[in-house]
Amino acid sequence: MFGLPGMTAAVLFGFPIFWIVYTIIFFVKSKDWPEDVETEEKGGTSNG
Amino acid sequence: MGSDVLIFLVLYYVVVVGIGFWAVRKGGANNLEGYLLGGRQVGPLVTAMTLQATSMSGYMFLGGGSAGFTTGYWSIFYASGDIGGGVVNLSIIGRRMRKLSKILGSLTSIEYLEHRYPHPATRLIAGSLSVFFLFFYILAQFIAGGKGMALVTGLPYWAALAFAVGIIMIYTFLGGYFAVAYTDFFQSIVMLIGMVWISIVTLNAVGGFTAANNAIAQIDPTYLSIWGKDLAHKGAWPDILGAVLIFSVGYMGWPHVVTRHMAMKSPRTARMAGVYSTIWNIFFVTAPYMLGIFAIILLPNLADPEIAIFTLAGELLPGAVTGIVMAAIMAAIMSTADSILLQVGTIASRDIYQRFIHPKADDKAMVLVSRILILVIGIIGFIIAVVKPPGVFSIVIFTTSVLGSAFLPAYVCAVWWKKANTPGAISSMVGGALSAYLAEITSFVLPPMVAGVLISFILMIVVSLATQKSHPVPAYILKAMDLTAEVGPIPKGILTSAEFDLSPEAMAVRRKLDKDK
Repeated sequence: MFGLPGMTAAVLFGFPIFWIVYTIIFFVKSKDWPEDVETEEKGGTSNG
Repeated sequence: MGSDVLIFLVLYYVVVVGIGFWAVRKGGANNLEGYLLGGRQVGPLVTAMTLQATSMSGYMFLGGGSAGFTTGYWSIFYASGDIGGGVVNLSIIGRRMRKLSKILGSLTSIEYLEHRYPHPATRLIAGSLSVFFLFFYILAQFIAGGKGMALVTGLPYWAALAFAVGIIMIYTFLGGYFAVAYTDFFQSIVMLIGMVWISIVTLNAVGGFTAANNAIAQIDPTYLSIWGKDLAHKGAWPDILGAVLIFSVGYMGWPHVVTRHMAMKSPRTARMAGVYSTIWNIFFVTAPYMLGIFAIILLPNLADPEIAIFTLAGELLPGAVTGIVMAAIMAAIMSTADSILLQVGTIASRDIYQRFIHPKADDKAMVLVSRILILVIGIIGFIIAVVKPPGVFSIVIFTTSVLGSAFLPAYVCAVWWKKANTPGAISSMVGGALSAYLAEITSFVLPPMVAGVLISFILMIVVSLATQKSHPVPAYILKAMDLTAEVGPIPKGILTSAEFDLSPEAMAVRRKLDKDK
């Protein structure tokens, strides 16, 4: 692939894919973070 | 390279300093708290960019290019971990550290450690380790700046180094606190434009990705192997682990990087900043290593691998564009050096001098301490860089390994593990740093990063558990950690107990602005 050995191509493209997936999962799991604003009122209860 | 490059360099500095002054005027005297933290009102995009700009510069343009040129595709392991460094940092400790630092009233990342692990020794050890090892990171920027300036101006290395170090020192003394997060953002954009341009031109010059790899295979097929040139790292899985971990998790142990979490506009900023960070890194982090790899074909007689990217820019780009790219690289190097120098000066004056030697020191005295240290670092750094300059790549890897090993467990456990106590933190910092250092000088079977982080975490866990009864985590910290874990506003009354104190440099700036009004 692209003139590269298989393992090299796997590393070169595999890690970015892994981090994209990680970021997507993080983005989804942190969906309640927008509630985490800095005010001095009593707040919510979910754990992040 | 000559006058057109210098013209662009000067123009670049004018714009950067202009942005700095604009930010000061925009914020005014009421927003000076921001300068200690790079702006307590920093949003997600700027957070992501300043996080990346802080940690990239001389290393990326010299070290990354050199690694690619000398080892081939083995160097991609460093990039592979680095791509995720920002999102890992922000997802694991970003939101919580922002919140906990605010609750505890911390204004520096070292002060934060003492607030979380209450004992003077925490601050003394953390401050001392930071000052000592960040010196090496500054040294790397000096060398990078000297080599770059030599190429740009045609001066001999020692003279170019003196010029570069001189500019860095002046920039730090005069402009340091005006180099707010917005200048990092601007530099990130310019670096992006520069890197995109040179990457496209280089890819075109080598005939495309596949053609380039085929050409490299003709020179030496081992460059294409993940084990590196001459298969030097064949089967060395610990080396691979170390290369991937160093910039993926190592960043969580850099005091000058994690301080950016404390500067976010709000705890929720970490979410979008993580996304921006990954998008940016996928291209920007990988590019310098790939440029170094392509330089194998285009610059076969290159004597100094560390100037591979500079040389590519000079040979492939039209004069004016070369000027822009070089200006961006040089300015990035110098601003990183300036930023780290200021951090070191602040740590020395606030976290060590005022905290332990002269508690009643006023801001003038602390500014003096800060500047004396900056001057000493400048002189010692210049001497080392002239007499026996180490490679930029190796020195940054060494520094990252030791700092990561020392501080990673302390920062992570600060927000995630309620049993992490002061003896645990202190032993992990000392043990981690020592382990990484010894692994480096003895060429231990495990890479320094792996050995250091392993020992550091083990010490944190074992010592914390063994001393739970004698050194329990104070109740107010446990309560603060509970609030940090929750997603929601900090309840009224919690923040009012936080002490507010500006750094001596920020106080000096405030006095000047008040006088100028």
